[in-house]
Amino acid sequence: MKIPVLRNVFEKNEYAAAHNRTFFDEQSVTCINILGGAGAGKTALLEALLPKLQPELQVGVLEGDLATTKDATRIANLGVPVVQLLTDGGCHLTATLVKHGLGRLPLSELDLLIVENVGNPICPANFDLGEHLRISVLSVAEGDDKPAKYPLLFKDSSLIVISKCDLLEHTDFSMESAARDIRRLAPDMEIIETAARKGTGIDRLSDWVTSKLLPRHNEGDLAQ
Amino acid sequence: MHEFSIAQGLIEAATAAAQQAGARAVTILRCRIGIIRQVDNSLLTDAFELAREGGLCSKALLDIEKVPLRAQCTACDEPFEVDDWNWRCPKCDGESRGLVGGDELELVSIEAEVDDEDPRAAERV
Repeated sequence: MKIPVLRNVFEKNEYAAAHNRTFFDEQSVTCINILGGAGAGKTALLEALLPKLQPELQVGVLEGDLATTKDATRIANLGVPVVQLLTDGGCHLTATLVKHGLGRLPLSELDLLIVENVGNPICPANFDLGEHLRISVLSVAEGDDKPAKYPLLFKDSSLIVISKCDLLEHTDFSMESAARDIRRLAPDMEIIETAARKGTGIDRLSDWVTSKLLPRHNEGDLAQ
Repeated sequence: MHEFSIAQGLIEAATAAAQQAGARAVTILRCRIGIIRQVDNSLLTDAFELAREGGLCSKALLDIEKVPLRAQCTACDEPFEVDDWNWRCPKCDGESRGLVGGDELELVSIEAEVDDEDPRAAERV
């Protein structure tokens, strides 16, 4: 006999994500999930952004990686509390993995929790971690065709950062083409151009993050 | 490789639905997966065959319906399929923005063997 079901395949992760989000709300911590392919410049972006945020805000970082603590060391060097989440080869973070990392951060003292996801343009976009905001990073070096190749990464984000813009003159990356494809997927998407090594666009990014913190409890919910 | 997580999710959802209906085995799982989920059918089938072992779904087959990318024309309001990243409306050549389909990820229904004498099956009829 046929039994209708109609259930989300990632229901279990969605449930854990909702649980995380409630916990963040209770602690008044805004959580941002940062996604992008390997080498998009996510860690360099944080190295530029965190010193701008730190004077005003208490920030903690969860670093997702397949292996090594290299990225966590880079963040720890900035004096930011950081926990490395190793997936042991897994290509994405899950809400449960994030939950396990939370116990090792001084969450009650934080205003902002940033989760840097595993470098991968496909899988992480499928998994809600309980974040309030999602930032996807696309580097100029990767090419302007990536929004068409990895639509999910761009469709469900709160903000797109186009990184490594100081390399524009060395590539055939078309900002117009990338922006057009991103807005085909998400018509109202905000895009910020950055060059972390030169500090370009970091003030704008910092302002964007700060503007989303308050009022914390009115933030849009990514779960759909 | 998120296919294994998807296979596990499908089996968990199907098992829960089958238990609720008092079924003794699931024979088919029907799922809908949007094209932008970037799921490889053969990888998902392989993952499903590993993940189904030992439960109510151990002999079940997986029926995968791929849902294409769909948009709605901003000029004539007609929904259409975005083929090979062509966002022009086939009806009026208008430009379209915003997705209306293609990101689905759901277990739609299952086929299950139910014992007629099971009281939960009788209640349903």
